[in-house]
Amino acid sequence: MGLAPKRANADDTFAKLMRMHARVRGGRPAFRHKDLGIWRTWTWAQAYEETRALAQGLADLGLAKGDRIAIAGANRPRLYWSITAAQMLGAVPVPVYADAVADEIALTLENAGAKFLVAQDQEQVDKALSIVAKLPALTRILFDETRGLSDYDEPRLVALDDAIARGRAALADAACAAALEARIDAGDGVDPSVMLYTSGTTGRSKGVVLSGERCIAAARDTVAFDNLTDRDEVLAYLPLAWVGDHYLNYAQGFVAGFCMACPESAATAAQDLREIGPTFHFAPPRVFEALLTRVMIRMEDASAFKRWLFRYYMDVARRWGEKIANRESVPLSARLRYALGNLLIYAPLKNTLGFSKIRVAYTAGEAIGADLFAFYRSLGLNLKQLYGQTEAFLYVTAQADGAVRSDTVGPPAPNVQLRIAADGEVQFKSPGMFVGYYLDPEKTREAMTADGFIKTGDAGFFEPDGQLKIVDRAKDVGKLADGQMFAPKYIENKLKFFSDIREAVAIGDGRDFVAVMLNIELAAVGNWAERNGVSYASYQELAAHPRVAELIEKHVDAVNRALSQEPAMARAQIKRFLILPKELDADDGELTRTQKVRRGFIADRYAPLVEGLYGGAKEAMISAEITFEDGRKGRLEGRSAIHDMMVYPLAAGAPAPRSEAA
Amino acid sequence: MNILHAIFVDPFAQMISAPDLLVQTVWEGFVGGVLYSLIALGFVLIYKASGVFNFAQGIMMVFAALTLVGLHEKGAPAWIALALTVAIMYALAVGVERVVLRPLVNQPDIILLMATFGLTYFLIGFGELVFGGNPKAMITEQLFLPSGAIDLSILGGKVTLQKLDIAAAAIALVMVAGLGLFFQKTRIGRALRAVADDHQAALSVGISLNQIWVVVWFAAGVVALATGIMWGARSDVSFALQVVALKALPVLILGGLTSIPGAIVGGLIIGIGEKLGEFYWGPLLGGGIERWLAYFIALAFLLFRPQGLFGERIIERI
Amino acid sequence: MSDTAPEILLSLEHVSLAFGGVRAISDVSFDIRKGEIRAIIGPNGAGKTSMLNVINGFYHPQLGVITFGGRARSRMRPHEAAAQGIARTFQNVALFKGMTTLDNIMTGRSLRMNRGLFWQALRHGPALVEEIRHREFCEEIIDFLEIEAIRKTPVGALPYGLQKRVELGRALAMEPKLLLLDEPMAGMNREEKEDMSRFIVEANRRLGATIALIEHDIGVVMDLSDRVVVLEYGRKIADDVPEVVKADEKVIAAYLGVAH
Repeated sequence: MGLAPKRANADDTFAKLMRMHARVRGGRPAFRHKDLGIWRTWTWAQAYEETRALAQGLADLGLAKGDRIAIAGANRPRLYWSITAAQMLGAVPVPVYADAVADEIALTLENAGAKFLVAQDQEQVDKALSIVAKLPALTRILFDETRGLSDYDEPRLVALDDAIARGRAALADAACAAALEARIDAGDGVDPSVMLYTSGTTGRSKGVVLSGERCIAAARDTVAFDNLTDRDEVLAYLPLAWVGDHYLNYAQGFVAGFCMACPESAATAAQDLREIGPTFHFAPPRVFEALLTRVMIRMEDASAFKRWLFRYYMDVARRWGEKIANRESVPLSARLRYALGNLLIYAPLKNTLGFSKIRVAYTAGEAIGADLFAFYRSLGLNLKQLYGQTEAFLYVTAQADGAVRSDTVGPPAPNVQLRIAADGEVQFKSPGMFVGYYLDPEKTREAMTADGFIKTGDAGFFEPDGQLKIVDRAKDVGKLADGQMFAPKYIENKLKFFSDIREAVAIGDGRDFVAVMLNIELAAVGNWAERNGVSYASYQELAAHPRVAELIEKHVDAVNRALSQEPAMARAQIKRFLILPKELDADDGELTRTQKVRRGFIADRYAPLVEGLYGGAKEAMISAEITFEDGRKGRLEGRSAIHDMMVYPLAAGAPAPRSEAA
Repeated sequence: MNILHAIFVDPFAQMISAPDLLVQTVWEGFVGGVLYSLIALGFVLIYKASGVFNFAQGIMMVFAALTLVGLHEKGAPAWIALALTVAIMYALAVGVERVVLRPLVNQPDIILLMATFGLTYFLIGFGELVFGGNPKAMITEQLFLPSGAIDLSILGGKVTLQKLDIAAAAIALVMVAGLGLFFQKTRIGRALRAVADDHQAALSVGISLNQIWVVVWFAAGVVALATGIMWGARSDVSFALQVVALKALPVLILGGLTSIPGAIVGGLIIGIGEKLGEFYWGPLLGGGIERWLAYFIALAFLLFRPQGLFGERIIERI
Repeated sequence: MSDTAPEILLSLEHVSLAFGGVRAISDVSFDIRKGEIRAIIGPNGAGKTSMLNVINGFYHPQLGVITFGGRARSRMRPHEAAAQGIARTFQNVALFKGMTTLDNIMTGRSLRMNRGLFWQALRHGPALVEEIRHREFCEEIIDFLEIEAIRKTPVGALPYGLQKRVELGRALAMEPKLLLLDEPMAGMNREEKEDMSRFIVEANRRLGATIALIEHDIGVVMDLSDRVVVLEYGRKIADDVPEVVKADEKVIAAYLGVAH
């Protein structure tokens, strides 16, 4: 792809792509949004008209080529159009996380030097106005939903409606329309198309600059890889600011011409999924896990006959489902039973989950449990894994249909060069790779090798079948005091495969042994508690219950047993653990916005507990300050019992590490 | 051994060897069951909306049929008589609301039950006074209800379906579907469900209990009229028919007092169950078990599911 | 509130209510101005809920005159009060538990749907048009209260805080002139209380509902209300703006001192 000669009129910007779709498939649906209980649809032609009007409106308000325009809010057609409208003008859209607190947003806007902000609603406007003093560059705040904003007296505020109306009026003039057309034509694929801020797992988040040409080249590759067409449909529910949304929904949607449906609200996404029935879908493992937990809880409340039916046919699915999906040879009787199971269980189940029409589904971001992965695969859902990062514009590796494993992330995606450095770090060069970090050439240099490969910071290795396996963050792989390898994420993931455990934080670098701090999964453990007569009033109370500790102890023991099977990991068995008295939360800085644990931060905040783990105490106290979503501070007091675990000797003749996790 | 054989083996062997007879029996039971369902439906409607166990439901059926036939006897053409009867059922609903329910609002349930006893005797007395106490024939042809029978040759035998029975089943079906739609989809239906859920809240949003009571008593009256026409056409119209109405009790026990689907399924189970019992097991006990089998089924059922087939689940949370 | 003589929406003059020999309300007079948020506070058993029940017609006082919208009334029944524009919520949540959130809110439109039984039975023509129009109105309320996710959930299955929200939605669906809220925040956590306060203020400002509310959380009362009337043992002991009431010694003795 990269070698193809550049044609003069190539659709190398998203603005040009939208224009092309408006001409080629103007009558096909492009965007949907559920508003006031009803799905509203815009065709490509309509969306293009709205976007043009908005672009003209933005231009009249003073947005020019190269300016940055931040976008804060949930998935809404008009926010997507704001992105495209900016791109029409050669301005650079900067989506920000809608649930970020004002200070976080301020940092991003300041770094990006945003001139305009498009805010979804009053909540986002209020946040913006609270930080506006720190942002001299910010001249305009546009808002989509007018509710509650009518009596705001602030000269910077402009309703998106008004901007669109003004733009539309201006475009009635042929000269003006032609000028806008010329601006779209003048858009150059090498110019920045979008800036996406990294989630900040490691320190301050950085603005990743992506060019239109590269974004589109990458999207073309994967659209072909998964055979996506304009008949496909997605539910655009991922955060706008996350590369996953911008790639999977926006870029692929603009390349293939498929329809992006925006949910009514975050809370209704599950129902909206059912109503839309997308054909392409992405969800992080935790979402799949939560869905499975919900199904299981509902089954436990079902009648004995239904439970039996469910168990029987899930067993059939487990045995044959994946084989049938992978087109292996399967006896006729098993096929018949599977078909019956499909009629009775799998199809209705997929329907309630909203998965009926899915052709291709991906998961990524963290390791997925083998059982969890197999559950969905065996239902006949074409669930695959990919590995990527913002700097690559998502894809680095992706599994092809029919070559899917739960413990790997697939071979290099089309046109991606991938290699493992001497220290185990994964490095790549890809069609969609970034131009650089915004205003930070030094960081950009640090992130790349001399020969132009991007350093992922992840440690991994290739399996014999060519699929990549990620072990941990390269810098997180540490050593116990005796020099034994310690890969915290590897241990944490093993723990998190139990539905009772929501989060795990493993500690051990430079220590004598491995200790773990856990969060229980309130839904699963709460249900268990109800059935077993354990009463509780809050998460804290349930987490401290001795019978819950017994339950978790069994899981930890199982992990130890599994670790003892692996020569490289056997010494890293868990000697002690405790259950945290509070749920880890992104608002408190303990998780990233993409819900990854921030190990260092947690170790600091919960230092007294860590001390307890290594000091031999039977119990430890914690008292910490926490921040609510709206910025208020509160105090957390709690105590955790510490539990000692048995450690298994390394199993004689234990198999090599890789076969264990398969 | 012979007894056990006669109870557990012979009847089933009979069913298998003569499937046409089985179909015939089930069909007859089904038609009877449909009519039980309709009577039970009247009970359920009134119970849900006003919490009154309407003992007079059976009599309302007889009274409606009697009024229809009586008006015709007095010279009114069939359709006029039908319209007039519907009007009288409406008047009855309004009367009950004014005279019985409104003055007795907030009284204990037992008082309201007693009031419906009173209503029963009032309707019997009033009906006999105006239309006389003799059994009358239903005006089947005048209402264009079909007569005669269809013979079906199936399963190597012959099954006879009375056209009237087919019409009865069809009318019942339309009626149930109509009521279902009405209560699910319209404002009045929503109001009725609201009243059934919480009186106070219903009042606070401006729903008039009195209006709802009139609506449900009227609906129950129309259902009673339809049932009365069907039963009347199969036998005669007289107050002896109220015995049939009492069959609604086991149906209610089976289906639960508050469930419309329960009333329907319960009616069918009782109807089919008692016909099968009578035909296959009746001879063992010297016949006539049809009269008490329904109660027996209901009692047996009560042991296992006191809340009825579809009644609201009794959940005790600790 | 403007300085010119405010318009009185509801006034109670010398109202007394007794159950048998027990006096629930003794000679209480106060008024509610159009557009204000009026709080009724007092210790348990002060007669606050009885007061709301008198206003919306559940109870009929033995003595006194109630004037609503300029017309004195006697023995008005609850559904008639509703028809005049008085909506309310209940202390212990009185929802139609078997019905969905949407249906519950739709019942609030009962009085505004007038198509005859005939059309309704057919669910056709004007009745259908009407149903759609009201459904749109209810969707606006669902959007306002941010309860899209539970639109089709039977309310019996909802947590308490959401039930309270649905109940408010049902009352708002009536487009009431006067909205009576009986402890709208009882049993809520802090976040839920903040949400509820926001909805109450917006219902008052944006939707123009005059509000009378009973609430135990004094902080909330002082924040929200324009004027406060304080009851104790069925008698009125204070009636003024929050700052004054807060400083009133009788009130402190009777109420604030006891509860806090």
